[in-house]
Amino acid sequence: MSFLHPGALVWALLAIPVVIFYILKIRLKRVPVSTVIFWRQIFDEKKPQSIWQRLRHLVSLLVQLFLLSLLVFSLAEPFLTSDSKNARRLVLVIDNSASMKATDGDPTRLTRAKEEALAVIRGLRFTDEMAVLSAGTQPTVVCGITGHQRTLREAIDSIPATDGPTHLAEAIAAAKRLGEEETSNEGSTTSSGKETEIVVITDGGTPDFAKLQTSDKIKFIVVGAKTPNVAITRFQTRRSAIDPIGYEILVEVTNQSDEESGPIRLAIKLNDNLIEIKPLNLKPNEKWSEVIENTTADGGLLIAELVTKGEKEDVPLVDALAADNVARAVLPVRLPQPTHMHSPSGNLFLQRVLEANPLVQLTQSKEMPKSFAAGGITVFHREVPAKLPPGQILVVDPASDCDLWTVGEKLQSPIVTQQEKESPLMAHVRLDNILMPEAKKLTFTHAAGKPSVLAGAVSGDPLYALIERPEGKVLVLTVHLEMGDLPFRTAFPILAMNALNFFNGGQGELRESLATGSTTSVTLATEATLRAPDGTEKKLPAGKLTVGPFDQVGVWTIDKDEYAVNLMNAAESDLRAPEDYPSSANAAGLVAGFLGRPVWYYLIAFAWAMAALEWYLYQRRWIS
Amino acid sequence: MPLFDSDFLKKLEYLSLVSKRVFRGSLMAQRRTMAMGSGIEFADHRDYTPGDDFRYIDWNLFARHNQLLLKRFQEEEDLHVYFLVDASRSMAFGDPPKFDFARQVAAALAYIALADLDRIAVTLFSKDILGDFPLTRGKGRILSLLKFFENAEASGEDTDLERVVTGFIHRDQRRGLVVIVSDLYDPAGFEKGLDLLRHRKYEPFVVQMYDKYEKEPDGMLGDVEMWDVESGDTRKVTVTEKNLKQYRQLFDDFQEKIRTYCNNYNLGCARSSTEIPFDELILRMMRVAGAVR
Repeated sequence: MSFLHPGALVWALLAIPVVIFYILKIRLKRVPVSTVIFWRQIFDEKKPQSIWQRLRHLVSLLVQLFLLSLLVFSLAEPFLTSDSKNARRLVLVIDNSASMKATDGDPTRLTRAKEEALAVIRGLRFTDEMAVLSAGTQPTVVCGITGHQRTLREAIDSIPATDGPTHLAEAIAAAKRLGEEETSNEGSTTSSGKETEIVVITDGGTPDFAKLQTSDKIKFIVVGAKTPNVAITRFQTRRSAIDPIGYEILVEVTNQSDEESGPIRLAIKLNDNLIEIKPLNLKPNEKWSEVIENTTADGGLLIAELVTKGEKEDVPLVDALAADNVARAVLPVRLPQPTHMHSPSGNLFLQRVLEANPLVQLTQSKEMPKSFAAGGITVFHREVPAKLPPGQILVVDPASDCDLWTVGEKLQSPIVTQQEKESPLMAHVRLDNILMPEAKKLTFTHAAGKPSVLAGAVSGDPLYALIERPEGKVLVLTVHLEMGDLPFRTAFPILAMNALNFFNGGQGELRESLATGSTTSVTLATEATLRAPDGTEKKLPAGKLTVGPFDQVGVWTIDKDEYAVNLMNAAESDLRAPEDYPSSANAAGLVAGFLGRPVWYYLIAFAWAMAALEWYLYQRRWIS
Repeated sequence: MPLFDSDFLKKLEYLSLVSKRVFRGSLMAQRRTMAMGSGIEFADHRDYTPGDDFRYIDWNLFARHNQLLLKRFQEEEDLHVYFLVDASRSMAFGDPPKFDFARQVAAALAYIALADLDRIAVTLFSKDILGDFPLTRGKGRILSLLKFFENAEASGEDTDLERVVTGFIHRDQRRGLVVIVSDLYDPAGFEKGLDLLRHRKYEPFVVQMYDKYEKEPDGMLGDVEMWDVESGDTRKVTVTEKNLKQYRQLFDDFQEKIRTYCNNYNLGCARSSTEIPFDELILRMMRVAGAVR
């Protein structure tokens, strides 16, 4: 046995005054009595007979000296050589992903996990060390290697519950690195021989969980049971390709259970107005998915929720995990587009295709207007002014020159041979094999800069081009609508809608719903505030940056922009915890038990006992 | 504050007035002398025998019954009241000191006796007789007596009642009432002293007093150095609750022993704590004697 602080043994000198006081019997309270007749009878004529009563003062002295020696030894912190040899280094990985919020863990799995973690901490020997990592949305070192149990307990308490996915593999890798770094920091000067053990407390809610057990130095404690759960595993929206105000909802519901789900319903609401309800009764492990179409120019919050039939109205489905019973999407408002069409002779194809767009507020003219409304879209058919006005302009079949181009001869065999497929203007558009007679050769002027050719003829001449001006974009299509068959093709309305959308600048386009744990890129003109669904805020700097990973389901906002974040993770929604793993720190053999405590702990405990004995003796002297 | 102030004298006067209504001797349970003589108080009749004084023949009875009977009268004589006042150091103990209480009680009783034209004497004692106030008579002597008491001190050694009484009874004096004012803490026991008095035809009357702290010594608990104020000896002891309980029992036994002794021998006895005023004790004694209600 050795002492950590041998200098503390000097406190043993306190035994000297203890003995001196015993011998001298410190000055007692002097009490006058008028007669000793009665006291003499008590003390002399009824003398204590037992050895114990005669020796109790001596025993008290011995107890005091023993108590002192115990305290002095505990101050010197004795330790056994075997203690240092058997020291452990643990890295505790706690899963705080969404599935750990499941309420089958009294109250949640994360709570159970924290309790087991605290049990591991309680079971640490005084020479043991431990670090704590969380393996939720983003693996995080919650507490570095330390032997201070209170710090470790506080670290465990500080681990938050998240709605993010599990990142056990990354967390285990980080734990290994942490252990290796600590070993390399100790260098060869220590002979502690500590090997890093990794203890993972999880519910196993991750694919390929069994493959994580790569070494016997990784131990798993699995919390949770085989709990059934029905979840919305996909929820996405997109704009209809043919309807400017239409949108499609892709929804998927999975029964993560070995039993039938029973009758449930999927209710989809837009701004709390029910737009669709689907009765479901899913078989074990069944996935149900459907695309639901709807139209609205109004924006709002689209919510899909699993419900059950109540007595009067549907009530939210109650199962072990609430986070995956609701999914959200943000539908932006579609604003009307004021559009003016100028055509000296008029063109019914063009007029109809513009009118077919419900967002377009169309006005027409045959005489060239003197001025054009700002902020709208202007469509010139054949006749164009010498100088194109500012704003967004679509020119179809230009018959005369303007400041951006000169019109040349008719093209020979104007078949589209080249098409810019990546451009949103050409999305869902195929111009192959479309006859475009009477298409004229366009020669762009210096003022047009370098136009983007979206569709070109075999001769290389542009048929459909984009000119980007500082005062607005110009699209020019050199197709004679009456002579060709383009107006009869589906490509024509799509082309027109793409052009209108392009002019709209993407306003009103759907933003896809994000899954927890994912990130998104934003470009901020000024500093902005990121607000989480729980109300917590974070400042974001200006510029292009990546926001996330998002660790809460709900609607996040960056100033006025809304982002819907859903769990949408089948593995997290699968609450069937694997059963072949220990479910407690005790079962995993991680608790060193009472004997794992330092020697001074037992000395102090014994000193308490001695103090109690002395107190008893003292009281007996007074009371007995 | 003087021991015998004007307030004390007022109380004495009051007690004296109360005692006037009392048949002499009732207060201290004394008897009249049994001697028949020329007093004025009729005692009984006896048959006439030749030689008797004709003046004492009850002629009324002779007229009615034709029988010569002689009237007998009780001889009246002064009652001698001796006060034995304990002046040992133990009497200085207490709050107020027992000795103060003893002096006040003795002075009050003496005043009542003097007011009744009895003779009184005071003897201070502890191990031996420490001082005497000689036999005296008449209320006028009360001031001298009070001065005697004021000058007295409780400074004697261990109480030895037997030794003191032995000295007392060997004096050339008439028998009478002996009022012993003491705490009776005699290591050899108080009984022998009282026995001697009884055997010598004195009439002992015990006034025993104690301090409240003697009855209930709460501050004694624990490791203490016990200091005997009488002998000056000290002793380091550990007083437990059990010891205190034993002490209380012994103290009560001692009180009971005094009461039993006095009852057995038909002695007057008054026991009191010094917490009560001395006049209350006197009145209580009167009530016990049936003198006042």
